Amino acid sequence: MSEPVAAPAGLQVAAAAGAAIARLMTQYVNAIDNDELERWPQFFTADAWYQIVPRAAFDQGHPAGIWLCDNRDMLEDRVSSIREVNVFEPHVYRHVIGPTEILGESGGVYRAQTSYIVVRTMQDGAMCVFSAGRYVDEIVLEQDVALLRKRIVVTDSARFDTLLVIPI
Amino acid sequence: MSQAVATRPVRELLQWPAAGVTRVPMQVFADPQIYAWEQDLIFRGPTWSFLCLAIEIPAAGDYITTRVGDTPVIAVRRADGDINALVNRCVHKGSIICHQAKGKRARAPNFVCPYHNWIYDFDGNLTSIAFEKGIQQQGGMPAGFDKTQHRLTRLRVATLNGLVFGTFSDATPPLKDYLGPVMVAHIERTLHGTPRILGRYSQFMHNNWKLYVENSRDNYHPSLLHAFFSTFKLNRLSAEGGTRQDAKSWHHITFTKRYTDKGDAAYDSGMIRAQKNDYGLKDPSLIDQWMEYPDQITNSIQSIFPGFVLQQILNSLGTRQVITHGVNACELVWTLIGLEEDTAEQTQVRVKQSNLVGPAGLVSMEDGAIGGFVQKGIAGDLDKQAIIEMGGTGVGSQPTRATETSVRGFWKVYRELLDV
Repeated sequence: MSEPVAAPAGLQVAAAAGAAIARLMTQYVNAIDNDELERWPQFFTADAWYQIVPRAAFDQGHPAGIWLCDNRDMLEDRVSSIREVNVFEPHVYRHVIGPTEILGESGGVYRAQTSYIVVRTMQDGAMCVFSAGRYVDEIVLEQDVALLRKRIVVTDSARFDTLLVIPI
Repeated sequence: MSQAVATRPVRELLQWPAAGVTRVPMQVFADPQIYAWEQDLIFRGPTWSFLCLAIEIPAAGDYITTRVGDTPVIAVRRADGDINALVNRCVHKGSIICHQAKGKRARAPNFVCPYHNWIYDFDGNLTSIAFEKGIQQQGGMPAGFDKTQHRLTRLRVATLNGLVFGTFSDATPPLKDYLGPVMVAHIERTLHGTPRILGRYSQFMHNNWKLYVENSRDNYHPSLLHAFFSTFKLNRLSAEGGTRQDAKSWHHITFTKRYTDKGDAAYDSGMIRAQKNDYGLKDPSLIDQWMEYPDQITNSIQSIFPGFVLQQILNSLGTRQVITHGVNACELVWTLIGLEEDTAEQTQVRVKQSNLVGPAGLVSMEDGAIGGFVQKGIAGDLDKQAIIEMGGTGVGSQPTRATETSVRGFWKVYRELLDV
């Protein structure tokens, strides 16, 4: 029941919680990479906050990044816009994520961070490292399902190639 | 200044079509020689380029690095509160002197080149050379070497409502004369308080810099390419709006007023891709706005020649600075702005509307790709010409956005500066 995962001294994370969080991390990136964007909002709570912020802006405390949704409906609107409205050259992402570090837990909310790299492949085959950075998350458990209450994608670079239409 | 132009007149390589500004030779987007001329004749010529916001370097010794075209530039705040701008290139070996994006020279009002510690004051004077007298009477600079003959190139600097501009040329008119009263009034109107930075990022684009600048002046495309706005009837050509220019057509403003949309059969027939009647936002709070300006303008894009844009998209205010990256690429540096006078709620509206702009902007993301589409399209056909005839063949303000008058204005200036 309470096998500790990597955590600061004194922080005990139940094995079931750790496993649920690990599933969330994996399923989140697979949904995006496999073009199942309609699943993407389902990884969040209804009142979720999702933001993409360059590292420099995050460190300086700037409130605006390049993407901000302050509830799940906005996430769904983004998916609609990607599917129906925005014009862009077709491309796919491949996320590679590092192990999740759980930083703390309070009132059922887990704070965690996870490194990621996104390789973008265009329809003509051109590939690039599109983004690298970390997820700074707040995660809650509903039954045995972990959901993102807050995900800030902190991108190491503040420069984005061409456009960013698919979520990270 | 221009070695390229001195050795070979521009007209030898670039003959402008007889049709004038209604035709643009595709060659100008792909020829490295023309690009080199542009650096000399435009970016280092009689033009003002945006450098930074004054609030980015608030205190004495604060500096920020930027670029004017290809040329690296430092803007620094002096003790007396004025701002100096210097080329960020050591006269010794050519190394950049400031390698940090921004910082503070706290200990002394000078810059020290990291390579061999040559030191410059904030006016660009070379004040010290490491080992100038040698070590133990050995080595050192020759006795006749005169430090006063070597200095950092200093730009003229002018500010307007917290926007800092620089120019290399003594021939550039004073900033307000360069902009003209229409442009000055619109900058003063848009930045009606004390700016504060809400966010900053950049967008790298695989197209010649002029394709982006044309895009920023192109009234014709937004409601067609940017489907998000049209879908929500935020920017239909039938809404009241228009195009303003300065007297010489160097600069441009396109604007719309949200609440005057009268509808138009061409939009309602479903023939324009942007129009999707079945599309709606689950959370329309994204486009909530307050009427910030008495003129009722909800969107305005102001493009200052050569590469600066001041944006108002609803309540999202920001600057965009075009940086050249060779003939086939450029970068757009975005700074999102709020005002110190804003309420917390107003700040939140601006932050939320940041979703509309930038590389992930629901409205504007396509601008990052469309120049690359053109750059790909013209490859192999550089002898062809673009057609710029929407709204007639001339330049000047027009009470419509179904026009390319400001694109023609851009090419009018371009031809004047390159003398083609």
